[in-house]
Amino acid sequence: MRDRTAIIGVGTSRFSKAPTETPMRLAAQAFKSALADAGLTRDDVDGLAINIGWPLGVDYDRFAEALGLRITFADQSWTHGRFVGPTLQHAAMAVASGLARCVACVCGVSFIQERGLLGGPGDFEGTREEGGTHEENPVYGLTAPAAGAALSAQRYFALYGATSEQLAAVPIAFRKHAGLNPAAIMREHLTLDDHQQSRFIVEPLHLFDCCLVSDGAAVVLVTTAERARDGAKPPVFIGGMQGMRAGRDEFLFATPGLGIGQQREFRYTPTEEQLAVYRMAGVAHADVDALYTYDAFSPLVWFVLERFGFCGLGEAAAWTQKGRIELGGELPMNTSGGLLSEAHVSGWNSIVEIVRQLRGECGQRQVSGARVMQWATAWGDSTIFHS
Amino acid sequence: MTGYAKPLPRITPDNRPFWDATRRHQLALQRCADCARFRYPPAPVCPECLSDRAEWTAVSGRGVVSTFVVFHQRYFTSFAPDIPYNVVQVQLDEGPRLTANLVDVPNAEISIGMRVEVVFDDVTSEISLPRFRRATT
Repeated sequence: MRDRTAIIGVGTSRFSKAPTETPMRLAAQAFKSALADAGLTRDDVDGLAINIGWPLGVDYDRFAEALGLRITFADQSWTHGRFVGPTLQHAAMAVASGLARCVACVCGVSFIQERGLLGGPGDFEGTREEGGTHEENPVYGLTAPAAGAALSAQRYFALYGATSEQLAAVPIAFRKHAGLNPAAIMREHLTLDDHQQSRFIVEPLHLFDCCLVSDGAAVVLVTTAERARDGAKPPVFIGGMQGMRAGRDEFLFATPGLGIGQQREFRYTPTEEQLAVYRMAGVAHADVDALYTYDAFSPLVWFVLERFGFCGLGEAAAWTQKGRIELGGELPMNTSGGLLSEAHVSGWNSIVEIVRQLRGECGQRQVSGARVMQWATAWGDSTIFHS
Repeated sequence: MTGYAKPLPRITPDNRPFWDATRRHQLALQRCADCARFRYPPAPVCPECLSDRAEWTAVSGRGVVSTFVVFHQRYFTSFAPDIPYNVVQVQLDEGPRLTANLVDVPNAEISIGMRVEVVFDDVTSEISLPRFRRATT
């Protein structure tokens, strides 16, 4: 798969905390903006890959109908941000295999209109027969994704002596990035004191350890490397990828071995299998100019760094201090501000940011000389992009 | 006991023996009849050896807090009076981890590794919820 596919265009809607527009309207804006960015018309798009459908976002059938598309490859994951990477990978595999010429990955979401789903009485997660995917168990009041991240953070703090003050370095870094991003929702400076004084949501996580609840849309157009070379902008190639992990050692919001839910306890070190993405892409950690992750909650940033071996187990708390993950640091992360400060477009805003960075379009927050960037999550999927 | 407003477990064919046991104030888990491994949540086959054969077996109800959280945000109205309330995961001596609340321990005194034991809370005439308290011995 190395370099067989590429992103030819990206588009976003306005990001907002005011629920004035429907997910469909937001998604339509982002789609038209992506077509213009790519220099394509809607007739060039024959594939659709949706991540986040009903009840938070738009579904593939309505989107195709509403936008007048003729789709021959339709794909939709469950209503979960974890499927950002897999959805993008399905799109790349579809064009590489010839099932589609150009796949639009579409995410249009309104988290604001559907607040009750996020841990409230409408929380469909907690009613899953064997428990929610973030360990939800409403019988005991364990609801909302934030609780899953809090369970992991608490144990991580205890095992490695890490602290909430250290964790604050994550949202502080991303807020600095958002300050350089005119599209970001939360742009005012965040201090350690602000973080520590903010109310607890699910202790030990403070308000600023939790992502925004916002509305927005992003569209990413994936096609073959060959077609992408004819686009309006320089192509961003998909160099390598590895799939999302599942099994007895996996809890979505923890590094393997931490011992949350039914995870076995052991000292995790990344194996070849856990790092397959680098081999496929033919790059090493040192080649990665910036790392992007699904930062729904700040501990996830620590877990992804350890999972992919940027630092050792238990070291991420110290490793993320002193600007290391900030622009200008050793490994800038989530340079748009991410879910913690730009907007919660379910991670797709970070895929858009990668593309814009690799084209050199990011102005004040541009990573100079950016050539290779990586998407990777605490649940183990990853995709490496290059210019 | 009437008017219990909080969510109740969904009883299914797979988990009914668990809730039947808690109603008798007994904690029971499935144990593989072939490899003897305890498992939770309830499942039709053993994740270790894929055997279909399992027996619901009483367990000690004792274990350690493996992690915990304290809820400050109100997600369900029915939990509002309890805020801030704890939720713990307990690693039973038999291996599996259960999610529950820790009772009779101030939130500030909860710590990972503390020994706990099960207690049963008859929340309705049909349902008894296992919770945990500090181990007495």
